[in-house]
Amino acid sequence: MSDSETGVHLYDGDIAPGDERADGTEIVEGIRGYLVGFGLSVLATVVAFFLSGTSLVWQPSIPAALIVLAIAQMGVHIVFFLHITTRPDSINNVMALVFGVFIVFVLIVGSVWIMTHLNHNMIPMERIMQMQR
Amino acid sequence: MFGKLTWDAIPWSHPIPLFAGFGAFGMVGAVVLFLIFKGYAPYLWREWITSCDHKRIGVMYVFLACVMILRGLTDAIMMRSQLAVAYNAPGYLPPDHYDQIFSAHGTIMILFMAMPFVIGLMNIVLPLQLGVRDVAFPTLNSVSFWLTATGALLINLSLLIGEFAKTGWLPYPPLSELTYSPGVGVDYYLWSVQIAGVGTLLTGVNFVTTILKLRAPGMTLMRMPMFAWTALVSVLLIVCVFPIFTATLAMLTLDRYLGFHFFTNEAGGNMMMFMNLVWAWGHPEVYILVMPAYGIFSEVVQTFSGKPLFGYRSMVIAAMAIGVLALLVWLHHFFTMGAGGDVNGFFGITTMIIAVPTGVKMFNWLFTMYRGRIVFRTPMMWSLAFLVTFTIGGMTGVMLAVPPADFMVHNSLFLVAHFHNVIIPGVVFGAFAGYTYWFPKAFGFCLDEKWGKAAFWCWLIGFYLAFMPLYVMGLMGATRRLQHYDVAEWYPWMLVAELGIILVWIGIACQIRQLVVSFRHQQELRDVTGDPWNGRSLEWSTTSPPPAFNFAVLPRVESRDTYWIAKQRAIETHSLGPEPAYKDIELPRNSPTGFVCAFFATFLGFAMIWHIWWLAALSFIGAFVTFVAFAWRDRDEYRIPAPEVARIDRANRSARLAALAHLGAAA
Amino acid sequence: MSITETDFAFAGGAVADVPVAVHAERSVASRRIVAAFGFWIFLLSDVVMFSAFFATYVVLVDMTAGGPSGKDVFNLYTVALETACLLVSSFSCGMASLGARARSNFMYYGGMIATFLLGAAFMLLEIRDFAGTVAQGAGPSRSAFLSAYFALVGCHGVHVTMGLLFLLTMIAQVYAKGYRADILRRLLCFALFWHTLDIIWVGIFTVVYLLGVAP
Repeated sequence: MSDSETGVHLYDGDIAPGDERADGTEIVEGIRGYLVGFGLSVLATVVAFFLSGTSLVWQPSIPAALIVLAIAQMGVHIVFFLHITTRPDSINNVMALVFGVFIVFVLIVGSVWIMTHLNHNMIPMERIMQMQR
Repeated sequence: MFGKLTWDAIPWSHPIPLFAGFGAFGMVGAVVLFLIFKGYAPYLWREWITSCDHKRIGVMYVFLACVMILRGLTDAIMMRSQLAVAYNAPGYLPPDHYDQIFSAHGTIMILFMAMPFVIGLMNIVLPLQLGVRDVAFPTLNSVSFWLTATGALLINLSLLIGEFAKTGWLPYPPLSELTYSPGVGVDYYLWSVQIAGVGTLLTGVNFVTTILKLRAPGMTLMRMPMFAWTALVSVLLIVCVFPIFTATLAMLTLDRYLGFHFFTNEAGGNMMMFMNLVWAWGHPEVYILVMPAYGIFSEVVQTFSGKPLFGYRSMVIAAMAIGVLALLVWLHHFFTMGAGGDVNGFFGITTMIIAVPTGVKMFNWLFTMYRGRIVFRTPMMWSLAFLVTFTIGGMTGVMLAVPPADFMVHNSLFLVAHFHNVIIPGVVFGAFAGYTYWFPKAFGFCLDEKWGKAAFWCWLIGFYLAFMPLYVMGLMGATRRLQHYDVAEWYPWMLVAELGIILVWIGIACQIRQLVVSFRHQQELRDVTGDPWNGRSLEWSTTSPPPAFNFAVLPRVESRDTYWIAKQRAIETHSLGPEPAYKDIELPRNSPTGFVCAFFATFLGFAMIWHIWWLAALSFIGAFVTFVAFAWRDRDEYRIPAPEVARIDRANRSARLAALAHLGAAA
Repeated sequence: MSITETDFAFAGGAVADVPVAVHAERSVASRRIVAAFGFWIFLLSDVVMFSAFFATYVVLVDMTAGGPSGKDVFNLYTVALETACLLVSSFSCGMASLGARARSNFMYYGGMIATFLLGAAFMLLEIRDFAGTVAQGAGPSRSAFLSAYFALVGCHGVHVTMGLLFLLTMIAQVYAKGYRADILRRLLCFALFWHTLDIIWVGIFTVVYLLGVAP
């Protein structure tokens, strides 16, 4: 399908993933967007590294805090670097992402749930190998 | 210098693989030499091997599937024959051969027969149904095909050089680890499947993009034909789950090649993780196969009942529900692995729930037929057989979904009967229905109906004879993958099953005969208008075969069944619409990228299997260079001038006007 | 399901003189959208592949077979440096994308070269870290935990390396052929790839390293 496909009006209601709606004159705006994203990411990263090494915070909360910071930073990357937003022209890209996240969630959570139960019920491997001998 | 490869790799002392290997490659070699000496090579290179046209690529996929079904069915008849004679006897196949045969049978049938068949039909039909000129990434499409062909080549090479895996079609550790499978068999499996898997993933990406982003003007998702919807669900599943398979096989490869401990007995490996991951892929895989088949049945049942599909909306919702649920059931393949009641219960319930949207589809097909005018052509017969036979298989599936019941029949012949009872009527009959239905579109002439019906009856009766006894034997306690047995009660059933597979082979012979007869009589069987079945969707608006550009002008779509409505209007008014304003058309150029990439991939796979590291490195570099060279080209399209487009289209219009006039005269 | 006479097109029918409403009508997407969307789908499939490695890592994280665990082997200082390299490289990649859009050679080449250097620095740090870990007897064949660790982080590293090759190719392509439409499409795909790798790294440094050394 060529860009010069004649006789067909190309559908421009969607935006390409990774693209911003711009006509090339708002470079300063673009830089600002990346700077904000960069700044927020640095913040999240620094806090995460700090939390993991500190004793100032209630210890059991650290894993949850780290996960939340990671998800937040991923969100920052997605919005500011990948320009995947919930605006109408980016909805298809978001749906693809949501579906991907769903699969990742099912696979990781499902696997951990299943394997924990299997491991819990299983004889230790060393004993099995002993039984073989 | 040559790694582990020596002359001993050829099975000199084993007559069966030796003759099979030399025979198969001898035949292929003879055909290749024949084509070269007859001067067909330039034509084949230009029109087929380097083609990026979805119609050509689709035909090549289906051709690959047809060749591989012969290998898969040969394995099948060898297994059944072994079991027919191995009652209180060793049979004619030593155990380690038998193990390779059942492993190859499953791998080939699922990954190198069913997948290419279904993907091939999607390739031929989808862009035509969507009213566009080609898929989103035509050259990538060619790469996908040739990588799949590479996988098929490697797996067949294992017959002649080396051995195949003895682990079953999914290489469960620890048996598949280096300690217990030190030979090259599992490596052949890993590399051929991994390479083909890359091809399939790329197909998934290609078709998701095509269906979501490339449709004719006005074709919203709810105006797509049902086949396009089920194809969408199928390719979305491909994109979601093939990476899991890639990762899992990569982990097994790392275990075998670099001494990792993902699934080993020692050092903390957990082989149950392999089962978990591989079935997280494996279950959606069977839905990847069956969804397009459901779509084919929707198209065929509509057309041969003369009615639009009943309950389009509910069919769409059912398809999407099946797609999502398919991702949530995988543990039912290892209920017996010991996850406990909570986990087993959850997955048992989700498995049973999948029967609901499937039932919705079944009833919609039945309601489509109700009060229609049924035409009993071969595609419709495959569909009717599917409706009944698949229901039986589905019911045994719901039985197996109950964990306590599954504990009794897991890995018995009952299970083998169940999955064949859904895959064969589902995927294979669907593929055959689609093959017969769209053959005229692809080649310009119909298939002989008489031989088609003969093949159908042989396949149907053969299927029942081959697999119903397996249910009985499974309930009698017969385990799967047995090389010999000594239980008297099973013996008569084994003989019935043998009769079944012989009948299936007669069915195959009928299909081959059908091809020969149809080719010989192609003038009488010619499809003059492009619409031999009085179809409803856009592919029937093109000539048979369609021109390279599919449509002279992309159709404007205002509703579902666009073509049908336009046809009725044309019949009422005794005229076609006005002639369009023809413009130049640009199409993707041919490219050898696919073939060359696959060439290097073949050497890469072979070298990795036999530990010929220098060859592997060179092949990898070659593949990368090919990729960059492709990215470097300046002209990626060629132009068909408007007068040429006009000439081709006017021929189509006059053929259709003639058919209209004929109709008018009859009326 | 109404149709108008003039609007009908099939098998040679006419595409009507396009009324204004057609602009909002579903139709064929532009090549830029098609290429980027396809690549986005491919990237999501790649993320699923990583999640299989993640799942395996989480399952095998305690299977140290009497050997070293994460605490013994991970060097948070190196990880912090690697994270900084990748994060800044994401920013510079963004600058390169803006530069291409504005046809500014300075921004484009500057951004791409900076991205390359930072990415290469990341790889060097990681390879050195891996070599050190292997040298202290904690290679991937020591235990299932280490196998899972090296596979997950190594897979990311392999992707970064391929990204660097992709990057070099894009520099060469713009140099040789200018800011042509198809090259800009590829550049968009490269940017998607590079940013996604950083997103995956966020997951890795959190789950593998930070949670690995947490008490």
